[in-house]
Amino acid sequence: MKARIDRTVLLAVVALLIVAPWILQAVEHEFWLDILAEVLIWSLFAASVNVLFGYAGLLSFGQALFFGMGMFGVAIGIAKLGLGFWPALGLGMAVAVGTAAITGALAVRLTWHYFAIITVVFSLIFYFIALSAKPLTGGDDGTSFVMPAMLEAGEFELSLTDQTVQYFFILAVVAAAYFVKFLIVRSPFGMALMAVRENDVRASLIGLNVYFLRWSAFVIAGAFAGLAGCLFAMFGRYASATYMFYHVSGEGVVWTIIGGAGTLFGPVVGTALLIVVREELSNMWEHYPILVGIVVILTVIFAPKGLMGFWNALLDRLSQRPADRAAGEAPPQEEDAAAAPVPREGRP
Amino acid sequence: MTAPMLEIDNLTKRFGGLVALDHVTLDFEPDVLHAIIGPNGAGKTTLFNTISGMLKSDSGTVRFRGTDISGMAPHRISRLGMSRSLQIKSVFDSMTVAENLWIAAQARQGVMHPFASRSRFGRTAERVDEVLEQTGLSGLRSVPAGTLSYGDVALLEIGIALATGPSLLLLDEPICGMGPAETAATVEKIRHLAESVDIIVIEHDMPVVFDLADRITVMAQGGILARGAPDEIANNAAVREAYLGEEEDDEDDPDA
Repeated sequence: MKARIDRTVLLAVVALLIVAPWILQAVEHEFWLDILAEVLIWSLFAASVNVLFGYAGLLSFGQALFFGMGMFGVAIGIAKLGLGFWPALGLGMAVAVGTAAITGALAVRLTWHYFAIITVVFSLIFYFIALSAKPLTGGDDGTSFVMPAMLEAGEFELSLTDQTVQYFFILAVVAAAYFVKFLIVRSPFGMALMAVRENDVRASLIGLNVYFLRWSAFVIAGAFAGLAGCLFAMFGRYASATYMFYHVSGEGVVWTIIGGAGTLFGPVVGTALLIVVREELSNMWEHYPILVGIVVILTVIFAPKGLMGFWNALLDRLSQRPADRAAGEAPPQEEDAAAAPVPREGRP
Repeated sequence: MTAPMLEIDNLTKRFGGLVALDHVTLDFEPDVLHAIIGPNGAGKTTLFNTISGMLKSDSGTVRFRGTDISGMAPHRISRLGMSRSLQIKSVFDSMTVAENLWIAAQARQGVMHPFASRSRFGRTAERVDEVLEQTGLSGLRSVPAGTLSYGDVALLEIGIALATGPSLLLLDEPICGMGPAETAATVEKIRHLAESVDIIVIEHDMPVVFDLADRITVMAQGGILARGAPDEIANNAAVREAYLGEEEDDEDDPDA
């Protein structure tokens, strides 16, 4: 029953996202299509935080570094190297993943606050490098570029300069990335990450290579953040070191925690909520981040699994039969059981 | 005499000025249930930690079924077939009992598939059912490990070690925290397991040790005080003086 409700809601949201351009056109709010695209990109960025924090138990305040690497890879590829659409995307991804592989090899030797600190340090180092490497990155001004076509066949040309094409391109990429995330979470590798998160000593004693697992999670998270950065550069036709600053990383952490760390769609929910709040409130009240701060504190205290955890607990209470779910089939993100007491059965 | 499965040669481990293991040389032959006893601070858990790779020894070697495992990482030692439980019980709290066993059973395979669904690994699922049966935890398979009673966590702890399919099981105070009925049942389970797996157990409960073990090693102050069959140990004057003569309960063991 719970799985069915979840699936229905997911299908409804996907359907809404697919028809969104026409709905928004009908109500003459095309402006919101760009906000929707932005929500999608940032929720992919939040997914990067979630892979590390929610599943591998590593709290990173440096994911903006890989977002920035993706951005600059695309922007420099197009503006300086004259690459086309797809090669530029490839360059952005290669730069982001490569940076994650190297910094990760050092960072995942540490855990907890030491790990959080080293991720901030790495992102600051690259932030200042990007600011000072003016010939390459444009320094304070950043790098802007003219968008090459995505697909050209004779007369036919598909380009992100069309708002609807751009939206669907972003939707498709983000959906594909979330599908990959779903596969990972459900796989033996995903469960191994969770074991490492829960108890790294125990994990190593059952034969899991804790260092390699953490490093892999770091690289995967770097790839998600990098992909989000590539999309954002294409969305704004622009790359700037501002987006490498750890403020941006912190926003990803906030979105993830409010939505629900360690849940598949928590980052989407948190990102959507807070970006809409920002769009609606920032004009009216410049100090709206105070409100965001209060919400974060309340979430951490009262709903440690975020809004998705709250939702899961609610559905569990409604269906009342948590024991019905076969253990092997229950997706790991449904750690709601901690919130809802499970009736104990006596052992034979 | 059969070749030993575990050979410890001249093993030394210091913590600052404290010598936790002082040139320990020990052989464990297979097919025999071994127990290690000794007062707190004798170096029993340090010995397990050093054998299983959690601590690096300062000198000496450990050979497991002919392979030198000194200085090897814990996960590699585990994949060679040596598995252990921990004295301070630690399981994967937010995962269910079945998931705890599942990841342990799968971990032995080495590489973790990043995309395939977990339900595709039938052999692992079979192994989980086996271990649930062996530990008597079948009724609790869908329960999150963090909500188990202390005694059940201790059983799951053994189950996790067992799920990796070890040929040698190191159990560190497996019945610690169990009531009398659970203790009796667990002792029976360990005895049963010993028919298929080599077991070395550290235990404080003397009646249990003397009932369970075929061979007893007595440690004191980082060294080996005596070894032998239970009746030999019970009659050993040095052991009686150093250890058995003392009140067992004077150790700061919360559940003794």
